[in-house]
Amino acid sequence: MSSSHHVILRVVSKTLIPVIALYAFYVQFHGDYGPGGGFQAGVILAVAVILYALVFGVPSAMRAVPPAFTRTLAAFGVLLYSGVGFWALIRGGNFLEYGALFNEAPGGHKGQHIGILLIELGVLCGVSGAMLTIFYSFAGRVAEIRDEDW
Amino acid sequence: MGDFIASSLHWFEIVRYPLGGAVCLLGALLCIVGTIGVLRFPDFYTRLHAASITDTSGAMLILIGMGLLAPGWLIVLKLFTIFIFILLTSPAASHAVANAAHTAGLQPLIGPVKKNQDEGNQA
Amino acid sequence: MSEVLDGSVGLATVNILLLSLLFVVGIAIARLRSLFAIVMLSGLYSLLSAVWYVVVDAVDVAFTEAAVGAGMSTVVLLGAMLLTSRMAKPEKRLARLGPLVVVLVTGAMLIYATVDLPAFGDPNSPVNTGVGYEYLLVNWNDTGIANVVTSVLGSYRGFDTLGETTVVFVAGIAVAMLLGFGERSLAESIRKDDKTTKSSAKNTVKSEGKS
Repeated sequence: MSSSHHVILRVVSKTLIPVIALYAFYVQFHGDYGPGGGFQAGVILAVAVILYALVFGVPSAMRAVPPAFTRTLAAFGVLLYSGVGFWALIRGGNFLEYGALFNEAPGGHKGQHIGILLIELGVLCGVSGAMLTIFYSFAGRVAEIRDEDW
Repeated sequence: MGDFIASSLHWFEIVRYPLGGAVCLLGALLCIVGTIGVLRFPDFYTRLHAASITDTSGAMLILIGMGLLAPGWLIVLKLFTIFIFILLTSPAASHAVANAAHTAGLQPLIGPVKKNQDEGNQA
Repeated sequence: MSEVLDGSVGLATVNILLLSLLFVVGIAIARLRSLFAIVMLSGLYSLLSAVWYVVVDAVDVAFTEAAVGAGMSTVVLLGAMLLTSRMAKPEKRLARLGPLVVVLVTGAMLIYATVDLPAFGDPNSPVNTGVGYEYLLVNWNDTGIANVVTSVLGSYRGFDTLGETTVVFVAGIAVAMLLGFGERSLAESIRKDDKTTKSSAKNTVKSEGKS
């Protein structure tokens, strides 16, 4: 995989993978004002790592983003989402009632903004972790495919 | 001098709509040319060249046309970002396909090409 | 229906063209035997669906469909194809008769049902006069978030989104438990690294001993 005729792909993906990750975070935070949100951002972030795995090899990607980390990330995302719900319960409101997060007056928006920010972050972590786990399960079963095998 | 600039801006405001439409139409024409090429060319590599014309030149001309028709500077900036992205990735994608076919051993129609010619000369 | 056609023949043409392309791609997927071509065509199907969602003003859905269908799903299907084979097995001639009958009956029932649906953008449809319209009225005062899709997803229907995230998580863990956690590739690379570092350490010790 490290022969010289993959140079163009390696240079272009080295230029573009940080841009793709940055775009994922742009979509995540822009979900409040335009199309976007946690699901799309999670998939785009996973696709950035998958592009790295396709160009540089799956073992190299597994050293950068280990499979144990992706499983933990997915679980952490779901925990964060339910954690916001339990935080509202502890504060005396209903489950996932954003108005009760900061004990504010009934017309306040702070709880809504912070609550939706946190749950979108939970969705981002959960979706990107799950997508990467699925990719690693499929790609990790095949021994490294050399060029001559095609 | 300021009068000339003002009149040229006014002229640009009038002429950019049909010009943008014409450039978009030209891009669509290139896409049609690429599609006919994919359907009619005899060999894999020539078909790949025709497909890359749709991907690269057709998309870029359509983006330039849309930039001329855009109502504000923010939209022109976003279209420019997409233009740079397609400029970088679309030729790389065509290169990846051709590279994969050549590494797998697919030979062009005009005759076989020796694999790794420079390595053979060095060894 | 005729109001839509009167005002925008171009839009109707675009819709008809896109949907007929989807139809053609669907038939091609059903008829092909080369699995590689089928995987690429299913990615193409997702992209065409994403374009059609943009035409009917559902931009968030189009975004997700393009990212998941054309990006993620194609990669995972290619990985699955590498694990199995490259060509589908040939089928007996009458093996597809049963599925064809089922598909035709279901399609006829669905087309019969769509005749009753309200026209696209109809102001008197239940979507535009019921709960949807109320969300549009109270959204800015309740949440202060400009994108109504995000506020409905996150605030008004937050339980559903929690369920969706849990479903995605469970799907990922289920695939990992069925197919392995991907450590065969990782273990192989670690073993290769250990072998090369051990052999290079032996060579340096030997050369130091000699000199």
